[in-house]
Amino acid sequence: MTNEIKVDPKVIAEFIKLNANIFEAPNFAKSLEEVDLEITPYEVVYSEGKVRLLHFVPQVQRQLKTPLVIAYALVNRFHILDIHPRKSWVRNLLNQGIDVYLIDWGTPTQINRHEGFDDYVNGYMDNCIDYVLHESQSKRVSLQGYCTGGTLSTVYAALHPKKVQTLTLTAPVIDGRRDSTVVSNLAKHLDVDKLIDTLGNMPPEMMYYVFSILKPFEQGFEKYLNFFKNIHDKDYVDNFLRVEKWVSDTPPIPGELYRQWIKDVYQENLLINNNMYVGGKQVSLKNITMPLLTQVAVGDHLVSPECSMPIHYAVSSEDKTLKIYPTGHVGMIASSFSQKKVLPEFAQWLAQR
Amino acid sequence: MSTPDEKKLLTGFKHNSLFWTDLLYLMSNRQQSIAATGPFRKFAINAKNISTETIEMNEDLAEFNKRLGAYYKQLSDTWNEAQGEYTRKVPELPNDVEHIEASKRIWIDIFENYFTRLFDSAEFAENFGKLVTSELEIAKHWNNIASTLLESANMPTKKEMDEVYKELHSLRKRVAKLEKIANKEGQENDK
Repeated sequence: MTNEIKVDPKVIAEFIKLNANIFEAPNFAKSLEEVDLEITPYEVVYSEGKVRLLHFVPQVQRQLKTPLVIAYALVNRFHILDIHPRKSWVRNLLNQGIDVYLIDWGTPTQINRHEGFDDYVNGYMDNCIDYVLHESQSKRVSLQGYCTGGTLSTVYAALHPKKVQTLTLTAPVIDGRRDSTVVSNLAKHLDVDKLIDTLGNMPPEMMYYVFSILKPFEQGFEKYLNFFKNIHDKDYVDNFLRVEKWVSDTPPIPGELYRQWIKDVYQENLLINNNMYVGGKQVSLKNITMPLLTQVAVGDHLVSPECSMPIHYAVSSEDKTLKIYPTGHVGMIASSFSQKKVLPEFAQWLAQR
Repeated sequence: MSTPDEKKLLTGFKHNSLFWTDLLYLMSNRQQSIAATGPFRKFAINAKNISTETIEMNEDLAEFNKRLGAYYKQLSDTWNEAQGEYTRKVPELPNDVEHIEASKRIWIDIFENYFTRLFDSAEFAENFGKLVTSELEIAKHWNNIASTLLESANMPTKKEMDEVYKELHSLRKRVAKLEKIANKEGQENDK
């Protein structure tokens, strides 16, 4: 079969099929409003302001005595750690017999603009951990921090080492000077004082801008093309919409917390040089003596491995492990790869300590 | 920053506007006092703030336009370079499914590489930082105008609300500290 413009009929057929898929899409996909991100059941056991401490309902008999407290990042909400039943970080740990608590930072508003590292580390985090210690009758907790939650957990472990049995840092933001990502490039040239003095909090639109310039063609064009191509694949569509809903839920970051994060970590690099002050106390990474597991991803385009890895060498811990995975920032916590490789190794590391 | 000519023009404009605003205000002050009584009087007094903010905002708009122009130029230059590279690699439009798929992959890879290089560059980050700063300057003027209007209407301004937030933050910290002391003392008494 030929035609005048000499285009393969298969191309035309593909084009018509794609158009039909786009037209039919609303019949096969929910709107983001209708997508429910709550997967694994939990109980809100403690709350303070907008911050909530979630205790996930155990799925099997508890295997480890020490509870695990996860400090989620300041960017977006915690749902990525429980995004899909087969890709859930939290559910996997529960299935391995770990008692899991998670700190949800909520959605700050202008009333929270004066909250800084001191409020987050010595206030919210410390109160949540005190609650867990009291409830579980444990002397210490295992602490895990993801991304900027890793920065908070590092500061916490340095200031409250007696309450932390083990520290796990997953793609933590530590050494801003070595970070080679676009995020770090913009952060280094930002007049953060003017931003916070004028706007109060770091607004979600600006956070979203930063994400938009990370792989703009793959994420902004191809991803949606593939979505329409796979519109009849229920599992694909479900997973796609869950991640999209998570991506679109970007809360503001409290002003003073953002100011100190950008200045002390990216611009002046104080954290890795033990010159950061929180609540009037110097944050010395040498105070971190508990077992440390650092997890980094080679394909991380949000926090480069060079930014995370220096923590491994900066602490005093004798028992320390550095794991480098061939995946990305989100792939490390919410993918089939993380289920098969990252999580079993993490649970085993916890069990041995 | 604006060029010396632009600066001269803006300074002249600012001077003229403020001179006439002041003079008209003085000339009409007595009449206003008689005509505008009560709460509206406050608005008449604050009107000068609004015109000062508007004039100053024009200065910042010039800087913003300059930075925005440079930002779009960086984007369009990069687009053209990437498109040039793509045209060199794929000189003819493919007409079968496999080749279309392959050329799409090449297009995405080339554009992704060129734009990531741009976003990673110090020139981009520097201009972007200044663009955001100029936007914030404009936002500051908006805030000041809004505050003048709120003040005229006897409503709390952003600055006043911020004082409340600051006070609340400090009170919460004090309460938390006292709670910890009380709990500690309670535990000691229980022993």
